[in-house]
Amino acid sequence: MVGAEEAARLDRLEIQVENGGGGAWEYLCLVRKLKPRRSDKVLKHGLAILNDPKARSNLGGEEWTLYEQVAFAAFDCQQHNVAKVFSLSLPLPLHMCDCVAVLSKEFPGSLRVGRLEGMLLEAENSWAEAEKVYARLLEDNPLDQIIYKRKVAIAKAQGDLKVAVDFLNKYLEIFMSDHDAWRELAEIYVSLQMYKQAAFCYEELLLSQPTVSLYHLAYAEANESQCIEYSGFIILLFLRFLLTAFIEQVLYTMGGLENLLTAKKYYASTITLSGGKNTRALYGICLCSAAISQLTKGRSKEEKESSDLPSLAAEALLRDYKYRAPKKLPLLNSMLKNMKLSS
Amino acid sequence: MAEDLVLDRAIRDWVLIPLSVVMVLIGFLRYFVSKLMRSYQTPDRKVVKEGQVVLRARNLRVAAGFIPTKSFWSRRVYFTNEENGLLHVPKEQAQNPQAQMFSDPNMAMDMMKKNISMIVPQTLTFTWVNFFFSGFVAAKIPFPLTHRFRGMLQNGIDLSTVDVSYVSGRSWYFLNLFGLRGLFSLILGEENATDDAQRMMQMGGFGFDPTKSLSAEKDSLDIIQHEWILPKMEKRAEDVLKKLLK
Repeated sequence: MVGAEEAARLDRLEIQVENGGGGAWEYLCLVRKLKPRRSDKVLKHGLAILNDPKARSNLGGEEWTLYEQVAFAAFDCQQHNVAKVFSLSLPLPLHMCDCVAVLSKEFPGSLRVGRLEGMLLEAENSWAEAEKVYARLLEDNPLDQIIYKRKVAIAKAQGDLKVAVDFLNKYLEIFMSDHDAWRELAEIYVSLQMYKQAAFCYEELLLSQPTVSLYHLAYAEANESQCIEYSGFIILLFLRFLLTAFIEQVLYTMGGLENLLTAKKYYASTITLSGGKNTRALYGICLCSAAISQLTKGRSKEEKESSDLPSLAAEALLRDYKYRAPKKLPLLNSMLKNMKLSS
Repeated sequence: MAEDLVLDRAIRDWVLIPLSVVMVLIGFLRYFVSKLMRSYQTPDRKVVKEGQVVLRARNLRVAAGFIPTKSFWSRRVYFTNEENGLLHVPKEQAQNPQAQMFSDPNMAMDMMKKNISMIVPQTLTFTWVNFFFSGFVAAKIPFPLTHRFRGMLQNGIDLSTVDVSYVSGRSWYFLNLFGLRGLFSLILGEENATDDAQRMMQMGGFGFDPTKSLSAEKDSLDIIQHEWILPKMEKRAEDVLKKLLK
């Protein structure tokens, strides 16, 4: 977990290093610890240190960690041929392949370097080669989490989402409390529109981290989307920002009402967790209430206890828009009026 | 009996400090030797999986109120059902722990190494202390003790009239033995081989941890009554929004 003061320190160091002050090594260490994704800066400053033989020899044993870090940054920035300043004792310019080559010369047969080689092949788009390298590494180290994740990344980068899902499921069979993996799986399911499975994944996330409002929100949306059939979802996306009478044409399945009620509850919990500031949740409440009242219009005579929640949410939305996007206010007004009319 | 003995300063210089220094050095030596000798134990796939299962089951138990009832029940069945639930351990397997521990050569070797690296230096140092630092009063303990401790702490001082608070070098050795643990964790970082006391405590409660924790989790999951707390959230959201809009 990134503490606030460490994040502040990181920003300060970044500014300092950018403006030519010292402290590049400290900055790189902090980046390595906190893992923010600042690849271009890491690349720039890391290469500056590596190309300067005096600074490099100052690092001692940490030099190899720096090589690894710069290699990762180069993969991220796609700098296959980063040419830098010549130096007297190292006549070659240092670029990405060189980093990996230097490391593999120093540590032959090591797992970490093997991973880097695989990632190098991935970065150069030779997927088959990369898969071969990873398969070989997996044989020797069957319990390495990162290699499994790289395989999933390859599948995803090739656009093969079904295969990625397969790999992730196999990974999760062994390492089932890895919540990053669950999150990734949930996002893939959502993009594949398999909402029931996505909801399952979000439930796992909710169990492990119940106070993260993001997961409540995502679960609510997965539930809401479950109740609408495929063609309807595209319309709903459209409707989110321009609610019109189209909503009557959307098909609801039998379980629709239950899912909508669940979704409404989770939108409410998102609002509670985020202190009322989450706009998506506010929208979600309004839409759910409209949809629910739509569904229950003819069904039961008894009134469900009508809470103030939808109207409160609408009011909060109006206020939010007034402060932050006043131009869109008329749009919002018309949408809300439509919902109040049809409910 | 109650008179104060005046202890020579030279005792401090030549007994207490050298003994402490020697123990610190031996600790360092042990740390590096254990680092060299440590064999990398590849974790077993089954063990890893079980560890993760336990974590997941625990999460389910703790945060059960956040997911709808149907999902909770389906998960509970998944974990605890009799045929192939994840947490269900058949009776035969539960007997394994001891046998497995001794038949697995790797584990036995590891335990032997750990024992040796711990016991041998201790014994040697103890013998050395007894040989050199016995027979005279080395320090005075600030609180009074009973006569029982005389045999343990007053090594070689065969006068029964000397107050038990005056101890020989052996007690200083024991003090250092337990006290330097904190110092080592400062200097050598968290994981060091000098956690003798901890190691001794661990040795007592060995046994195949996964099996026990699996059944423990299963039992606690079986007990739980699910209560979905989400409905209350609607009310709370109302309150939050009301407060926000005020």
